[in-house]
Amino acid sequence: MAARRLSFRHWLTLGIVVAPLAGCREHLPRSGPSAIDAWGRTVSLAAPARRIVSLSPSTTEIVFALGLGDRLVGRTRWCDYPAAARAVADVGDGIAPNVEAIAARRPDLVLLYASLSNRPAAQRLAALGIATAALALDRAEDVRTAARLVGALAGVKGAAASLVAAFDSARAGAARDAAATGGRRPRLYVHVWAEPPVTVGRGSYLAEILRDAGADNVFDDVPTSSATVSLESLARRDPDAIVVLTSDTLGAPPPLAARPPWRAVRAVREGRYLLLDGSLYGRPSPRMPLAVRDLAARLHHLPIR
Amino acid sequence: MRRLSGPRFAVTLAALLTAAVATGVLVGPSFLSPGEVLGALLGRGDPSATAIVWSLRLPRVALGLLVGGVLAVAGASLQVLVRNPLADPYLLGLSGGAGLGAVLAMAAGLASPWAVPAAAFGGALLAMAAVYRLAAVAGGALDGRVLVLAGVVVGAFAGALVSGILAVTDAQGARSAMLWLMGGFGGAGWGTVAVLAVYAAPALVVLVAEARALNLLALGEEPAQYLGTDVVRTKRRVYLAASLLAAAAVAAAGIIGFVGLVVPHAIRLLRGHDHRGILPAAFVTGGALLVFADAGARTAFAPVELPVGVVTALLGVPVFALLLRRWTARSSS
Repeated sequence: MAARRLSFRHWLTLGIVVAPLAGCREHLPRSGPSAIDAWGRTVSLAAPARRIVSLSPSTTEIVFALGLGDRLVGRTRWCDYPAAARAVADVGDGIAPNVEAIAARRPDLVLLYASLSNRPAAQRLAALGIATAALALDRAEDVRTAARLVGALAGVKGAAASLVAAFDSARAGAARDAAATGGRRPRLYVHVWAEPPVTVGRGSYLAEILRDAGADNVFDDVPTSSATVSLESLARRDPDAIVVLTSDTLGAPPPLAARPPWRAVRAVREGRYLLLDGSLYGRPSPRMPLAVRDLAARLHHLPIR
Repeated sequence: MRRLSGPRFAVTLAALLTAAVATGVLVGPSFLSPGEVLGALLGRGDPSATAIVWSLRLPRVALGLLVGGVLAVAGASLQVLVRNPLADPYLLGLSGGAGLGAVLAMAAGLASPWAVPAAAFGGALLAMAAVYRLAAVAGGALDGRVLVLAGVVVGAFAGALVSGILAVTDAQGARSAMLWLMGGFGGAGWGTVAVLAVYAAPALVVLVAEARALNLLALGEEPAQYLGTDVVRTKRRVYLAASLLAAAAVAAAGIIGFVGLVVPHAIRLLRGHDHRGILPAAFVTGGALLVFADAGARTAFAPVELPVGVVTALLGVPVFALLLRRWTARSSS
């Protein structure tokens, strides 16, 4: 009895849902927003995204900067800016993410970091009928691309255009002001890891900040975003200071001088460190001009040999 | 292929060693002229060159010689012990244990420069103890086949633990542990050289003292027993000494493959099967190979450094293939 009544209702519901859908199908792609993502895929939505899950701290900042904070229903455990982001549900990691935790947020758009290891997650989300857009966020330029893409898919193209314009002019202004202070450009080494010595090359976001702020990365001849380099080269290039990004676990200069080979580097012997806030400097975001101004001000006080 | 006679072989080895040390000290990512290097060695010249030569290049050369030598001697001994030409110093679960130690130290956030090498050494010793226990349970005689199996089992177990830890801890620290394990001399200082020398010296002495017993062991355990060797005691000593060498090498420079596998075979092809000659020759050749490889790793893509294991394989495989071809051609004709 009960089973028969249930099945009747079931069919009735299905009919109500499916009938209008069948009519809509044909002009859906034309009416909804669509954009091409970092993997070259065309992402099409039936309607502007209302429930967004952001799987990188950079995209979370961009979503908020576009005024879409109230549409964010999920974020990674690394998303700590703006403060309001912490109030959004945490779905775990952004690389090889937890698909089930994401699906439980019932999103209509998931913003993935464009890493190869995120391909399987994209396929599994697609199988669940959840749209994904992949965003490469490795350079300053990527902030603009990401803002436009998120803006298009959320139906706020105007906000995206003005965010990009504001970003460009603030960036140009910060670089102009930094250049105006004049003097010799400080030469900096960016410390990523001690053993082996890992640093950033000119293909990195941090190197872009250094350049805009009027400093030179001593390993700008390395084309990749990061690389293992020899201490001998570092000692020979003799940087003015060692840049270190702070994190939850690192709030003080690393004990490089405790490693004898590192003592061949003068800046290490003399304890010349520049501690930079990892949340501000460590990820491409609309706050880049802020980072540039902050660094330029601190370089101004850096004693240069 | 004609084998090199004793004196000629010794001269060849001395020349190889000299060439390796000279290359290691003269070549680097930053250009120093031979005159500048000499000045720095004598304590004259500008302080930056002196720092580069004394605190970067020389410790790297010394550590390369020691690690390469130690790995080659450990490999040569283990190949006889387990009667398997594929044996290398890491075969008996040591690399797995060292990896587990290193990853645990990184995951625990230990920041001291000595924490990771010490933990890797501890992990390798634990793996060694576990393999020894497993093999001893199967019979007191340390059967070579059982040792190999126990090594594989312990290595797999440690590998599973490493994967588990990597999955649940912060990616950056874990990635760095893997980077460290890939091996290299980027962090070599005199302290590392001294620690390795202290651990390696007694183990090397034990192995050289057992060289004659190794010759007999290579004939088979029964003949060795008839010829007056205390087989069980020899095997135990060789196993412990070779494992200690490999563990100390891992702790000093991470896992550097290939040297311990191929150098002993190359020496046997050139020099015959007397381990009283093989072990010292393997030490010098292994050390020289690693110093050459490290010079390549530092300079090929300067200022970027290659993992030294990549270079040992690129240098060693063609040489070994050539030796093998000449040897098989000779023995089939």
